Amino acid sequence: MSVVQLESVGKSFMRRDGEQLEVLRNIDLDVPERSIVALVGASGCGKSTLLNIVAGLIPPDQGTVFLNGQKSSAFKDWRTMTYMFQEDRLFPWRTTAQNVALGLEAAGMPRKERRDRVMQVLELVGLEKFADSFPHELSGGMRSRAALGRSLVTEPSILLMDEPFSKLDPSIRTQMHDEVLRIAGLRQMSVLFVTHDVEEAVVLANKIVVLMPRPGRVKETREIALPYPRNPLSPEVAEEVRLLRLSL
Amino acid sequence: MKRSPLQMTQDRRLRLIGLRLLLIIIVVGLWGIGSLGAPAFILPSPRRVFGVWTQLVVTPGFWADFGITFYRIAMGFIFATVVGVVLGLLLGASRTLGDFFQPLLVVINTVSSSIWAIFALIWFGLSNWSTIFVVFMTAMPLILTNVWQGTSTVNRDFIELAQTFRMSRLQVLLKIYLPTILPQFFAGARLAFGFGARVSIVAEALGASSGIGYRLRQAADLVQTDQVFAWTLTLVILMIFIEAVLLKPLETHLFAWRKPRPA
Repeated sequence: MSVVQLESVGKSFMRRDGEQLEVLRNIDLDVPERSIVALVGASGCGKSTLLNIVAGLIPPDQGTVFLNGQKSSAFKDWRTMTYMFQEDRLFPWRTTAQNVALGLEAAGMPRKERRDRVMQVLELVGLEKFADSFPHELSGGMRSRAALGRSLVTEPSILLMDEPFSKLDPSIRTQMHDEVLRIAGLRQMSVLFVTHDVEEAVVLANKIVVLMPRPGRVKETREIALPYPRNPLSPEVAEEVRLLRLSL
Repeated sequence: MKRSPLQMTQDRRLRLIGLRLLLIIIVVGLWGIGSLGAPAFILPSPRRVFGVWTQLVVTPGFWADFGITFYRIAMGFIFATVVGVVLGLLLGASRTLGDFFQPLLVVINTVSSSIWAIFALIWFGLSNWSTIFVVFMTAMPLILTNVWQGTSTVNRDFIELAQTFRMSRLQVLLKIYLPTILPQFFAGARLAFGFGARVSIVAEALGASSGIGYRLRQAADLVQTDQVFAWTLTLVILMIFIEAVLLKPLETHLFAWRKPRPA
């Protein structure tokens, strides 16, 4: 079954001067269970808008979004989906543990149960020693781990990510890729993520959807069948990256 | 020899305490010299004022007046906080409401506290409510303005994150708005408390039959200048006490999450 399925989704925005700007046209997309799907494309191809439509933050103008086989307009289980943004968006007045607990608080979980779940997740992302640190005391990589932890604590079946590691140093980015792969496998979670980093897409995804800009359309869908872990320096990965670059 | 950061903050604190002591000595010294050439009903000497003050403190009426003044300031301040925070959040949440009520706030801010004291006397007479009203009218706009400005600093990204977690409006208010405006609120509340405490004395002098302000006016009417000084000293000590024992530790505790600023 597909966790996320889009059928001919379209979206336009009204510009300030009153003109309609078509951002997405006729998008078909399929995220199968336990898969990792990457959306790549030049800027202005509506990647983030597409993710926001999947997350239910904005409605599509045309087409239908299915989540776990249900129409998204009738979907209730929004807490099975979490969204990780480009910025970590940690609240500066909360400790790591408190930041991670946010999703559980939103769901109204009692404090005692929350604490166990939070500690579990902090161990999962390797931040158990920094539970009581404030965001300004953490490094960029640790902040990213905290944001990942916050997205995992509600045990989602699908994780959406909008260029979550683009601001990190390359070595830390590679570490975060390993973490995502490990946790996605462990938690049997599907991932749909947006990136402009072609290598990131090839290292992580089993399926890459290439978008064309103005308006955003699907140009091509590539399946990446290489075994994990994928070394960016290996010839097979390098070849996929090269082919993808040509496609862009 | 190299000093550790902890030692350096200790050094700085000691230096500050030394400077404060020096300042007190200079001010009291000048006061003492000045009092030598003036009659006691114009400028009583520090020694005399201190003597009157120690006598004053042991009279039972002192604590009654002290308590009633503190009670009026506290009541006015509590009302101002509740109304100021709620209205500030409302005006911050709705642009239309904000634009609509903004002129009213300007008007309230231009009316001087002594005018409120006169109105209070007309409306409430010689009662606790006169002073409470004046403290409220002085403190409330300050708190409201700060909370209102604070709402505009709320990070839109955090609101969006809250939406992905399907947080309720109340949760967004409590978990994002409130912590965001807290520093601004605190700054406003501190200012409001200071102003409120000062105008409460004016209000009591005009429209009360008890409290520090009433005693001050009584002492002035009887030309007991040393009494006026003693009551003033009491007020100064009270304000320093509230600042050092209540506000400063509370602020340190509440804003522990803030990045320490480089010296």
